[in-house]
Amino acid sequence: MKKMPFDPERTIIRLYDVSKYFGETDALVNVTFDVCRNEFFFISGPSGAGKSTLMKLLYLEEHMSSGYAIVDGMNLARIRRNQVPMLRRRLGIVFQDYKLIPNKSVFDNVGLVLEVAGIRSRKTVRDRVMDVLEKVGMADRHDAFPPTLSGGEQQRVAVARAMVGNPSLILADEPTASLDPEAAEMIFDLLVSAHSEGTTIVITTHDRYLLSKGCTGSIYLKKGQCEGPDGACR
Amino acid sequence: MKDTIRRGAADFLNYKYLHGICVITIALSVFVISAFGLFLINAGDLMVSWKKGIRIIAYLEPGADEETRDLIIGEMETYPEVAGVEYVSSGEALDWLKEEIGRQTALLEGLTDNPLPDAVEVSLSGDIDGADAISSLAARMEGLDGVADVEYARKWIERFGGIYNLFRLTSMILIGLIVSAVMMIVANTIRLILYSRIDEIKITRIIGADDAFIKYPLYFEGMMLGFLGGLAGLVLLYAAFFITVPQLSSAGLLVYFQVRFLPWNLVLLILLISMTVGWIGCYFSIRRFLRF
Repeated sequence: MKKMPFDPERTIIRLYDVSKYFGETDALVNVTFDVCRNEFFFISGPSGAGKSTLMKLLYLEEHMSSGYAIVDGMNLARIRRNQVPMLRRRLGIVFQDYKLIPNKSVFDNVGLVLEVAGIRSRKTVRDRVMDVLEKVGMADRHDAFPPTLSGGEQQRVAVARAMVGNPSLILADEPTASLDPEAAEMIFDLLVSAHSEGTTIVITTHDRYLLSKGCTGSIYLKKGQCEGPDGACR
Repeated sequence: MKDTIRRGAADFLNYKYLHGICVITIALSVFVISAFGLFLINAGDLMVSWKKGIRIIAYLEPGADEETRDLIIGEMETYPEVAGVEYVSSGEALDWLKEEIGRQTALLEGLTDNPLPDAVEVSLSGDIDGADAISSLAARMEGLDGVADVEYARKWIERFGGIYNLFRLTSMILIGLIVSAVMMIVANTIRLILYSRIDEIKITRIIGADDAFIKYPLYFEGMMLGFLGGLAGLVLLYAAFFITVPQLSSAGLLVYFQVRFLPWNLVLLILLISMTVGWIGCYFSIRRFLRF
């Protein structure tokens, strides 16, 4: 496939011929696609298609075996180890299993992102955390601990954590898979609301209901490969 | 720095149970090692007081004049191993002998001449180290002009010195082994703590924490574990010392020397080593966790 000119002002994610192998297993094979800034983008496909692996490549929990990838202006193939935290600070990540720290309060879980980013002013941290918790409807539970919350509430906190750093890109890996329809709807609405404020959203899902809600772009993965003309998705 | 300490202290309190176990492990280890140290220090004191009690007697040649005697005494006083020199004339020696044998003085009444020679009695400083040093000193004394013979409890000193040296060597090896075992136990306990926190560390990294953000509070926690464990171990040892020593004294076992607790500089050194062990345990464990 011909490589398109890359415009970092326009394109926030570019993957070109990206493959990932785990030993003999091909998790992703020659995946190529672009995501433009302020898109609401779906990566869909059946279980085991490689959606989560693709997400992990984007925030560098895994490294690609071959190919070329740029995320928010950073070339993942050449990124140095000490630049990885900088990339991750530009992202908000939402997981299917929430990944909240159980012995930290809701406030501390969300505030940790700001601490990690080097924001020391307690007032700034408090204001920003409470503001985002207000948005997700969890301000009144700010001192609760994750194990005392329902799945939907935990995922709202996880979305708040993803939003609090004002990231340019939110990656949500099956964010509604563990939730009942009502909670899933609420999480989806929160992501839509973040998108309306200018954040690019990339969601992996196999939930047909979510897919039916509409998006600005999508790819479909099957057995690690993009389904589309020329092996490219878009 | 302030932020690192604040986060380290907060995490320390968040994992009270695991940290408590680690503190107890370090405390017991410090207790055992310090008890060895305490024993060695007091055995050393006992050795010094015993050495101070050793006497080397240099018998002067018959007819040695006052000048020769003064020269011998002056020379002996210059030896660093010598704490004191005392001249004992043959008359004084005979009087002492009569006093010692008491009612059997009749045995000595037949003597026309005093058979005992003039002598110089040398007491040793506590610094003298080992039976060889004592033998060497005795040889130097024997080599002086006017000294006919030198006498001291050679065999007894050699036997006692040998036992003490064997004991000291064994203790050192045991302390070395215990310290190694303790370091491994502490490192593994800290590793268990970190294993229980691996998800937290992973999450923190995924939201953008760099290595420094994760490891410095953990280093602080490791040093806190070491400090608190060390302190608890020393307090435990002091309590045992405080309870045991008066009982030993009242049982009449501590007549010849004063038992003392670990000196302050050693206490501080133990705390410092404990903190270092805590830090080393953290350092090696964290390296594994920062690889993902």
